[in-house]
Amino acid sequence: MNLDRVHVTRLVLALVLVVGAAYLFGWYIPQFKESATTYLWAEAFYIGVAAMGLNLLTGYNGQVSIGHGAFFGLGMYTTAILMQSHNWPFVATLPVAAALSFAVGVLVGFPALRVKGLYLALVTLGLAVLFPQLTSRFVPHDLCRTCGTSQVGELPRIKLRPPSWTPTFIKFNDQWAYYAALAIAVIAIVGVALIVRSRFGRALIAVRDHEAAAETVGINIARVKVIAFATSALYAGTAGSCFVLVKRLATASSASTFQISIELLVAVVVGGTATVLGPFIGGVLVVFSDRYISESFPKTLLFWHINDSVKNLLSPAIFGIGLILLMYVLPDGIVGGGRRIATVAIRRLRGRRTSPAPT
Amino acid sequence: MTDVRRERRDVSRVRTIRAVALGAALALVVAACGSGRGSSDRTANPTTPSGSTGTAPIIDASQCDSSTLTQGVTGDTIKIGTSLPLSGTYSPFSAILHGESAYFSYINSLGGVTVAGKKYKIQLVSKDDAYDASKTSTNVDTLINSDKVFSLFNVVGTKNNLGVRETVNSDCVPDLLIASGAVQWGNTKYPWMLGSELVPYPLEMRVFVDYLLKNKPNAKIALLHANDDFGQSYQLTLEALVKGTSLSIVKEASYNAEGSEVKAQVTDLAASKADTFVLGGTLLACPNALTAAHDAGWKPLIYMSGTCVSKLLFTLAGDGADGVISVTPLLDPADPTNEAKPAMQLYKQQVKKYFPAEDLLDGIVGYGWSTAAMLQKILEASPKLDRVSVMETARTLKGISNAGLQLESSTFDTNKTDWFLGETFQLIKYDKAAGHTAAIGPISNLDGKTAELSPQALLHS
Repeated sequence: MNLDRVHVTRLVLALVLVVGAAYLFGWYIPQFKESATTYLWAEAFYIGVAAMGLNLLTGYNGQVSIGHGAFFGLGMYTTAILMQSHNWPFVATLPVAAALSFAVGVLVGFPALRVKGLYLALVTLGLAVLFPQLTSRFVPHDLCRTCGTSQVGELPRIKLRPPSWTPTFIKFNDQWAYYAALAIAVIAIVGVALIVRSRFGRALIAVRDHEAAAETVGINIARVKVIAFATSALYAGTAGSCFVLVKRLATASSASTFQISIELLVAVVVGGTATVLGPFIGGVLVVFSDRYISESFPKTLLFWHINDSVKNLLSPAIFGIGLILLMYVLPDGIVGGGRRIATVAIRRLRGRRTSPAPT
Repeated sequence: MTDVRRERRDVSRVRTIRAVALGAALALVVAACGSGRGSSDRTANPTTPSGSTGTAPIIDASQCDSSTLTQGVTGDTIKIGTSLPLSGTYSPFSAILHGESAYFSYINSLGGVTVAGKKYKIQLVSKDDAYDASKTSTNVDTLINSDKVFSLFNVVGTKNNLGVRETVNSDCVPDLLIASGAVQWGNTKYPWMLGSELVPYPLEMRVFVDYLLKNKPNAKIALLHANDDFGQSYQLTLEALVKGTSLSIVKEASYNAEGSEVKAQVTDLAASKADTFVLGGTLLACPNALTAAHDAGWKPLIYMSGTCVSKLLFTLAGDGADGVISVTPLLDPADPTNEAKPAMQLYKQQVKKYFPAEDLLDGIVGYGWSTAAMLQKILEASPKLDRVSVMETARTLKGISNAGLQLESSTFDTNKTDWFLGETFQLIKYDKAAGHTAAIGPISNLDGKTAELSPQALLHS
């Protein structure tokens, strides 16, 4: 077996893919696609980022949260309020939203130390239920006097313009939202990759797999768990900030907060728990399937005329069936399952090539 | 602990994995954006198109991109877009879409609408937003920039439309016949929005207060309202109108607009011994509140929001709905005395043809049908088929009558100072035994009065 050749092939393959992806995401989509598409991709990016954050907590640290919609909403409202009534530029709101989400994550993380598994899931569910009530109680009325009490009204376009320091190829609001979300996604991916390879990342996994054993090797379990919670809240909050650039408003209802929480969980599981890129890919898939399942229905199926009400009945059903099938075929998610299949395939190939004669 | 070892082993596979992951992402992208498209919607080219009327136009088109003014008109088709809840708690509103689609199918079968001497077919693109304002915003983006519609039409919900008002303003897209009677559509900073024929909520309170002053001058009112802008419209107007009269509001309660749980609030209000009950809620909250009042043995005079005038909701309320007062700008399809009218016969015949499963007697279907007819009136009154002309026309409508199930002697007008349509309407009372509503007194004509009757804080926000 020629090691060098394998290395070179891999390197070339990786290079082609990276350059291709860079061109596609960095240039083709934002420069040649219409704003509806760039906004959709930006949405996919921030949902992916939030899912990666949840994965740090759920996948790597074993704490299940179905309340991340609340942290997402916290970031969203922080950015929207600062931009709407204090005229902050978007970029300046990011650190505030991130820090606030981190701080609230720490606060929530402490009680979460006492409960585990299903109980923790329930506690975090409480967060998702509580958040919209808080916004309708405390979000100042002058942000959108007419939107009821819980919404920040649509931001004027001028506030969503690309700032003057951005390069000239970022001309339009949708491009600015796209590149901002892309940059945050890249930073988030690199962040997760670094975290899971770090000492802290190994501690996360150790705590997930065996708390007692982790403690005996000197890991401060409480600290690891709380920081895991806070970091994943930071990811969700930052993603929520991006939401404002894309959707231009902040809104929270119990339905939408809960839905985001569940979507993030779906993204993590579909993409692959405890993989770096898996949840991101899962997030992208969730966003695109949500959009395209109902739109790609044919008008008629055999003798069946499909009207809007049938569509609305069928699209969640198709999404659900797809989810069940996926979990059946790839229980470890797209990346996890893909990795497994690739390993088997490579082993087979190698085995065939270098199979030694049985002795 | 084996996981740690496995992790280490993974490192040797990382390149392969990364390649696979990137490959998957790439495949996804290629699949998702198969059709490359130019960026015509991005060409910023502000010009000053000629105004459509001789006098100073209401619509300032100087900021509009002239290349998009006729977007959505191709050959003999006008593409229009709508966003409404087709799933979730508010999905009963999807009946509106059936009424609209039936009307457009009908009018297309006759050749279409006639604008400036040419016939055009109407193509309606609908999207589901589950009543979530952020989804509406995405839908509207897609409708404008991807589906490239000419205008928006009957987008449902107050906060949903408030969530796109900056967009329609800067893109110069008419947001026509908004399915909400909120007064914010009178805010002159946002000239691209026009409410539909739904009675503006403050006017409902005006005629009901007048009715009380005449028939029950010492009424003690209990008010239940949704805790959003919609409910606030009722609350603020009623408070203002009652001030200084012989009427009094003895108790107010609000309910969470996300749901329709009102029982506790109604029980509270019933305990106040008020003899009049104003119900500023919508959809299921209405029958729930009526039933709760009935169950509590509370028998006040009840006024219910005009948004709840629907056979389905009346039926759900059972005995509690008997004698309830409300308003409607349209003929009640359930009323047999309307049966012989040509407008009603056409409506029933056509909706039955295109949506055989739909309940013809439901006012929500009739609303969709009539609003679609109103769009036709607006388009046909426009001297030219471009966005500025159509919006200018919608702002200067004269004597719109017989649109769909519009009340027979009613006309709708708009002008520079009057931005509302549904200001001519009928006070009605539900008769449970007969199963339909009946008119009380003559038609109310409050044309041009919405702006002055509205809480100014709401109007200008």
